[in-house]
Amino acid sequence: MPGPLPVSDVLLRTQRLSLEYTGADGSTISALRDVTLELQPHETVGILGESGSGKSSLSHAILRLLPPNGKIISGKIEYSGEDILALSRRELRQVRGAGIALIAQEPALALNPVLTIERQIIDVLRAHRRVSKQEAMEQTRAMLREVGFTDPERIGRAYPHQLSGGQRQRAAIAQALICNPRVLIADEPLSSLDAVTQAEILELLEKLKRDLHLSMIFITHNSGVLSSLADRVAVMREGEIQACGTLEQLARGTDEYVRALMFPEKNIPTRSSSIASLAASTSAEPLLRLDRVSKHFLQRRFLSRNVFQVQALKNIDLQIAEGASVAIIGRSGSGKTTLARCVAGFERPDEGQILFSGSRSNDRSEIQLIFQDAGSALNPRFTAAEAIREPLDIARRLSFPQRQERALQLMEEAGLDSAWAGRKVGEFSGGQRQRIAIARALAAEPRMLILDESLSGLDLPLQAQILRLLMDLQARHGLTYLHITHDLNFLPFFADQVVVMDQGTIVETGTPATLLESPQPVTKSLVAASERLHVAGMEVAL
Amino acid sequence: MIGYLLRRIGHGLFLLLGVSLLVFLLMQAAPGDFFSTATLSERMSQETVHALRAQYGLDQPLPVRYVRWLTSALHGEFGYSFSYNMPASALLLPRARNTLLLTVPSLLISWLIAVPLGVFAAWRRVGWIDRLYSGGTSALLGMHDLLLALLALMLALHTGVFPTGGMSSFSASGTLLTDWKDLLWHMALPVSVLVAGSVAPILRHVRSSMIEVLDSRYIRAAEGHGLGPLTVLFRHALPAAANPLISLFGLSTALLLGGSLLVEVVMSWPGLGPMVLEAILGRDMFLVVGAVMLSTVFLICGNFLADLLLYVFDPRIRLDA
Repeated sequence: MPGPLPVSDVLLRTQRLSLEYTGADGSTISALRDVTLELQPHETVGILGESGSGKSSLSHAILRLLPPNGKIISGKIEYSGEDILALSRRELRQVRGAGIALIAQEPALALNPVLTIERQIIDVLRAHRRVSKQEAMEQTRAMLREVGFTDPERIGRAYPHQLSGGQRQRAAIAQALICNPRVLIADEPLSSLDAVTQAEILELLEKLKRDLHLSMIFITHNSGVLSSLADRVAVMREGEIQACGTLEQLARGTDEYVRALMFPEKNIPTRSSSIASLAASTSAEPLLRLDRVSKHFLQRRFLSRNVFQVQALKNIDLQIAEGASVAIIGRSGSGKTTLARCVAGFERPDEGQILFSGSRSNDRSEIQLIFQDAGSALNPRFTAAEAIREPLDIARRLSFPQRQERALQLMEEAGLDSAWAGRKVGEFSGGQRQRIAIARALAAEPRMLILDESLSGLDLPLQAQILRLLMDLQARHGLTYLHITHDLNFLPFFADQVVVMDQGTIVETGTPATLLESPQPVTKSLVAASERLHVAGMEVAL
Repeated sequence: MIGYLLRRIGHGLFLLLGVSLLVFLLMQAAPGDFFSTATLSERMSQETVHALRAQYGLDQPLPVRYVRWLTSALHGEFGYSFSYNMPASALLLPRARNTLLLTVPSLLISWLIAVPLGVFAAWRRVGWIDRLYSGGTSALLGMHDLLLALLALMLALHTGVFPTGGMSSFSASGTLLTDWKDLLWHMALPVSVLVAGSVAPILRHVRSSMIEVLDSRYIRAAEGHGLGPLTVLFRHALPAAANPLISLFGLSTALLLGGSLLVEVVMSWPGLGPMVLEAILGRDMFLVVGAVMLSTVFLICGNFLADLLLYVFDPRIRLDA
C-alpha cells in the first residue's frame, strides 16, 4: 500500500469511517469499522468483498444515502477538500450526481418504471444545471450516444421495461454521467447480466473512464473483473478493510479470506472420474430425452387484438444420461429457462415429446427445480424444517416424527446445522437459503435436479461452496444435473457436457474443453466474454 | 382503440340489461306491490284497486311487464312512478343532479386534500407529523357520517352562518350570480361533511402506496443523483405510486350516487337518496329500478374511467411487456 498522499492529491477520502445500523429491536449492527480509503484523480479503486462485507454501505455512506436507521458514528468523508458530513442538504445535493455519481445495483430496479429514459436523465441534468429544454434534450442524446446507443432518440423515449438488461445498465450509466461527475461509484454494475453483456458493460466503463477522465470506485465480489480496470483493490470483510494493494500484490499474499475471494475455484475438487464413468456406462437409454421439442408463447398488447407469437424453443433434441452433469449456457432470452420449465413439467411443449426414464407421463416429481433466488422461492415465514419437510408433508408417506427426523437429516446433508431447524427461512443468509432449497429438493428423492441460475445470485466463494456440496451429493446419490447458466463460472469443474443455446435453438454441444476452441460464433462470443471477465476456473479445461 | 371502446360499451349495455332483469325478479319476489296498502283501506273498493292495477299494467305477467318497461326505457322514460304519477326518468334525473352537486365536489376536494397530505405523511413517516397523521385519520375513520352531519347541523344552529338544510333560500331569486352564491352557501356544510367522511381512507391509501415506492431502489437512486425533494416526491415517486390509487378512484366514483344518502336525509338535501328510500318502502317499483340502473351506469363508467386513467398513466400497461 503506498504511503499517505498529500491532501491536495486526494479526490475522495474516507477517514476511519464507522457506520452502525439500528435493528427493529433497538440493537445495533456495525456495518463499517474504521474504514480509511483514498481515491486519487483518474484512479480506479476496486472494492472486493462478499455480500454483507459492508461494501454497499460504504458506497451509500459516501453520498449520505443511508436509510433512516443507518448512522455514521465516527470518521470523516472528504471530497476535494470538503467535509461531506458537514454539508447542508442543499450543498449535498450539488455533490450528488454532479461531483460523485452512483450506479446502483440492478439497473432493472434503479430506473423508475413509469418515466421515460430521457425524462430520467433530463431531470438529473436540470437538477444541477440551468439549461433550456432544447439543450437538455441534446445533451441527453449525446450522452446516450456516448454510452453506446446508436439510436438515442428511440432509447430516450422508451420506458425501462422495454429495454434489455444491458440497455438498462447503459441508460443508468448515462444518467449517472450526464453532469460530468469526477467520481463514479459503481456498485456491482455487472450483477444479473449475462456474460456477454457483462463484458460489454465492463468495456464501456473502461472507455468512459478514459474519455471522461473519471475516478472510479468499483464494487464487486468478482476479482476477475477488476484485473483490467482497477489500479488498486481494497478487500473488505465484516465492515473492515482487510487488505489493500494491487491485484498482483494481493494474489501473492497469504491471507485465507483474500485467497478465497480471488481464487474461489480452489475450493472445488475436480470431478471424480467414477461419476463420469457411471454416466458413460448407462448410456444405453438416456434418463431424459427431448425429441424435436418446440414451444411458443402468445403475447397481446393492451387495447389491441393483434397477437404476437414468440418462439421460445425450436426443434430441441437433447439426451441426458443418468448421472451426467449437463450445462446449458446462453445469453438472456435464448430459451434456456423455457427449456428447463418444459423439462420440469411446468410448461407443455407445443410440439415434440419429452421422455423421462422412458415415460411420456407429465408427472415429473423425480425432477426437482432449484431457482435462482431462494429468497423468493421459499416462504420466508416457514422455519427451515417446515420448508424442507413440506414435500414430505404433502406425500404423507411417513409419520410426523419420521418426517421431522428426515428434514433434520437433510439439513445436515446440505451442510446446515440441524440446530437451526426452528429458525425462519428469512433469517438465513443467501447462501444458506440456497442450501435449504437444495435440502428441500432432495426431500422429494429426485433422480434429477435442474439448477436454473441457482448460483448466479451468490458471491463467487459461496458459489464454489455450493458447487462443492452439489458435487458431493451427486456422488452420494447418483443424481443427474441440468445446470442452466448465463456465465461460464466454474464450468469445467462441474459440467461434463455443455449445450450452447441461442434464440431457442441448440447451436452447439460439446465438453468444456472443446467449447473453448469452438469456431461457432455464439459460443465464441460467450468464451471471449468470459475470458474478458477472467471467469474463475476457465483454465482448468485447457 | 375504437374497437375496444365499442366492445366496452357493448359489455356495459349487456350488464345493464342483466341488472334490470335481476332487479325486476327481486322486486317480484318481494311480497305486495304499490297498491297493497290500498287494498286494506276501507275507503277504496276492490274494483277500484283492480282497475288501478290494470291501468298501470300490474295485472300482466312478469315477462310482459318487463318488455313494456324495456320499451319505455328506450323512449327515455324508464317506467312510471305510481306515487308521483310521472315518468321515472323525469323524477330521477333532477334528483340525481342534486346528489352529484354534493358528491362530485366532495370527491374532487377529498382527493385534492388527500394526495398532497398523503405524500407528505409518507415522506415524513417518523416523528410528530406521523403521530398527528395517524391520530387524525383514526379519529375521522372512527366517526360516522351521521355524527359528522349532526355536528355540522349544530354548528349551523349555533353560529347561524350556514343554512341548516335544503338547497336554496326562499329569498334568493334574483340574478344568476346570487342564485349560484346561494347554492354554494347551502352546499358548504354537506360537502364538508362528505369530505371529512371520505378523506381519511384515501389519505391512508396514498400514504401506504407512497411509502412502498419511496423505499424502492430507483427513488434512492434518484436521490443519489441529487434531485430535490419536490422532484423526487411528485415527479418520480407519485406517478409510480399512482396505480392502486387510480383503481381506488374508479371504485369511488361508483359511490357518487349512493354514498351521500345519510347526509342528504339529515341535512334535508333534495337528492336521490331520500327519494329512493321512500320508493323502496312504498314499492314504487319503477323508481327503484331506475335508480339501480343509474347507479349501475355510474359503476360501469367509473371502472371504465379507471381503466383509461391507468392506460394513460402506466406505460407498463400502455406498451405491454
